[in-house]
Amino acid sequence: MRLVLALLLMLAAGPAFAQSPMRAEVLSLAVNGVIRPEIAGFKGRASGLESAMGALCAVPSEATLSVARQQFGLAATAYGRVEFIRIGPLMEDNRADRLLFFPDRKGIGLRQVQAILAEQDVTVLDAAGLYGKSVAVQGFGALEFVLYGTGAEALAAAEGSFRCRYGQAIAHNIGSIADQLAMGWYRKGGVAEHLTRPVQENADYRTETEALEELVGLVSHGLEAVRDTRINPFIAQGEVAAKPKQALFWRSGLTMAMVGANLEGMETLVSVSGMARAVGEADVGLDNSIGFEFSNAHRALDLITLPVEEAVLDPKQVAALSYLVILTQSLQAQIGEQLAFALGLSVGFSSLDGD
Amino acid sequence: MWQRRAFLQAAGVGFAASLLPKQLAALERSELVFASSVQTASGGYGAVLLGERGDLIASIDLPDRGHDITISREAGRGVVFARQPGTFAVVFDPSGRAAPVTLTSVEGRHFFGHGVFSPDGRLLYATESDFEAAQGVIGVYDATDGYRRIGEFPTYGTGPHEMLLMADGVTFVVANGGIETHPDYGRAELNIETMDPSVVFIDRRDGRLVGQLRLDAGLHQLSIRHMAVDARQRVWFGCQYRGAATERPQLVGYATMDGEIKLIELPPETLGSLRNYVGSVAVSANSHRLAISSPEGDLLVTVDTEGKRPVLVDTLRNGCGLAADGDGFVATSGEGAMIGIAGAEREPKRFDFLFDNHMLRVG
Repeated sequence: MRLVLALLLMLAAGPAFAQSPMRAEVLSLAVNGVIRPEIAGFKGRASGLESAMGALCAVPSEATLSVARQQFGLAATAYGRVEFIRIGPLMEDNRADRLLFFPDRKGIGLRQVQAILAEQDVTVLDAAGLYGKSVAVQGFGALEFVLYGTGAEALAAAEGSFRCRYGQAIAHNIGSIADQLAMGWYRKGGVAEHLTRPVQENADYRTETEALEELVGLVSHGLEAVRDTRINPFIAQGEVAAKPKQALFWRSGLTMAMVGANLEGMETLVSVSGMARAVGEADVGLDNSIGFEFSNAHRALDLITLPVEEAVLDPKQVAALSYLVILTQSLQAQIGEQLAFALGLSVGFSSLDGD
Repeated sequence: MWQRRAFLQAAGVGFAASLLPKQLAALERSELVFASSVQTASGGYGAVLLGERGDLIASIDLPDRGHDITISREAGRGVVFARQPGTFAVVFDPSGRAAPVTLTSVEGRHFFGHGVFSPDGRLLYATESDFEAAQGVIGVYDATDGYRRIGEFPTYGTGPHEMLLMADGVTFVVANGGIETHPDYGRAELNIETMDPSVVFIDRRDGRLVGQLRLDAGLHQLSIRHMAVDARQRVWFGCQYRGAATERPQLVGYATMDGEIKLIELPPETLGSLRNYVGSVAVSANSHRLAISSPEGDLLVTVDTEGKRPVLVDTLRNGCGLAADGDGFVATSGEGAMIGIAGAEREPKRFDFLFDNHMLRVG
């Protein structure tokens, strides 16, 4: 009976793939061709942000403030490309939340940042002091308020000194975390090795199938997170009016740039790793379909040109936002369901997390 | 055990009378009845009642994805709760005589997918979220008055998941998973850094907190979610870990009304295969065995409840639903499989619908 059962389950389990060179290549390309270089890219941008904040504090002016803001955008969107990679070093030591605590539904982070600025709390100015504070005052969300929030104009002159030094401390923290991420992805015996050379002794990934499940799951969950935390919360829903101030980075106008970076990061992982090409003959069109849907998402993003508080009032841009929501659903179904099934992965109905 | 005769009595004569001959034959062959939420072949959602051999006895349609089911023979009704953060629960008559009634969560609350009836079937209780306050509540519904919501109790924690009624008939045990969610943000988990899961015992007569148990502070990211009570009134629970994947904390434990809470030791290879995720737990009819499932690891583990050690490991792709079946268990999968494990002799079956995470043994 055991044999019959095993046979039955195997037959019904969809395409059963053994360990294959193609899968090994997908895993290797995902780590070496995408994740490591993207994390290195973020590290570089974080370093640029740190320098720019240093320059702003040393020589406060409109020009240095403008450069700091520009570097903020570059660093934030570089993180946007990798923030869906919620495994390995990003998930240690609360780094994901320390880099970007969002959504902050009750605005706790904002109040904490305002209190730090109002009280000129000098304990946040050194790395150890900042590390001991709430995650919400340590990362991009807090720095956006420093650079763009009420009172940010003081940064261009000497009276913004404390505010600037706090921003500099945050930038330094972001830079340190980026360094730790980069080191983590090159650590001997670390996540990169486990993903690309899964063995039974690993606590996390013991087979190529488990490693692939993780990567496909990251994209599927990443798409869900973009929809549920970066778009849906601020667009109008039925009778409920739009709430543009619920949008991430509405102050800096980077809301949609961040969504674009998120989607680009996921698209790059799918396309460069070739995960959607490592399928059987019946599913050869899937890679193309996924690519087509990502292109549609970029076209929709290109239509959203206004700052979010104006975009939610413009019928064409509202339509583009709604279409983006649909595209994330469609991409999630293509990747989390169709691709997962085509690869014979267990990312199915019962295993969606959280229940 | 609610066997066929008792089921017929509970459902009333109309139940058998209303069945098609094939369904009646299915019930005649059945000693046990199982219930589960499902996804249908066409992609829709529903719930099914199955006989002991897996014969489909009845099904109902649901507006969206369901989760757990509770049935009261005293009330003559079953209830399917929407998967969190769902806003509906469907009350159905297993006999098919009365049309299903859909309950909608009240403003500011959503369901968490689990609930129980009072022993006399007059009240229905459901785990819900007061999402603005990020606090769990138990919604209380009057089954004798159209399931009108007549009040609520706090669960003394965030993200309550499964709730059960202890054998004394007055004490609830609730698993506060500790994870804050809000409908504005879908299923995004908003408080991973500050999670505070607990097992609580609550007096169902007045909502009084009888006791609250927490694991070590270092395990605050271990979300306690599903439970089963054995004959000694130990509450066995299964957890899902929200910390780093490289960490493999123990995932299974038990709590008692005397204030004991303990994790049992599963060996590293078993823990590795569970992938930090227990989807369902069940205790066997004789209370000697506990089964836990991990649809993420395709694994079913049977534990000796006295020795507190695993005795059997089975694999089932996407396996999650578990219910007592003889001395062993029936297990179901998100790919439509139904098998017996740990001594439950049954032919494996495969359906054209996909089972949701939980399988209820009726009775």
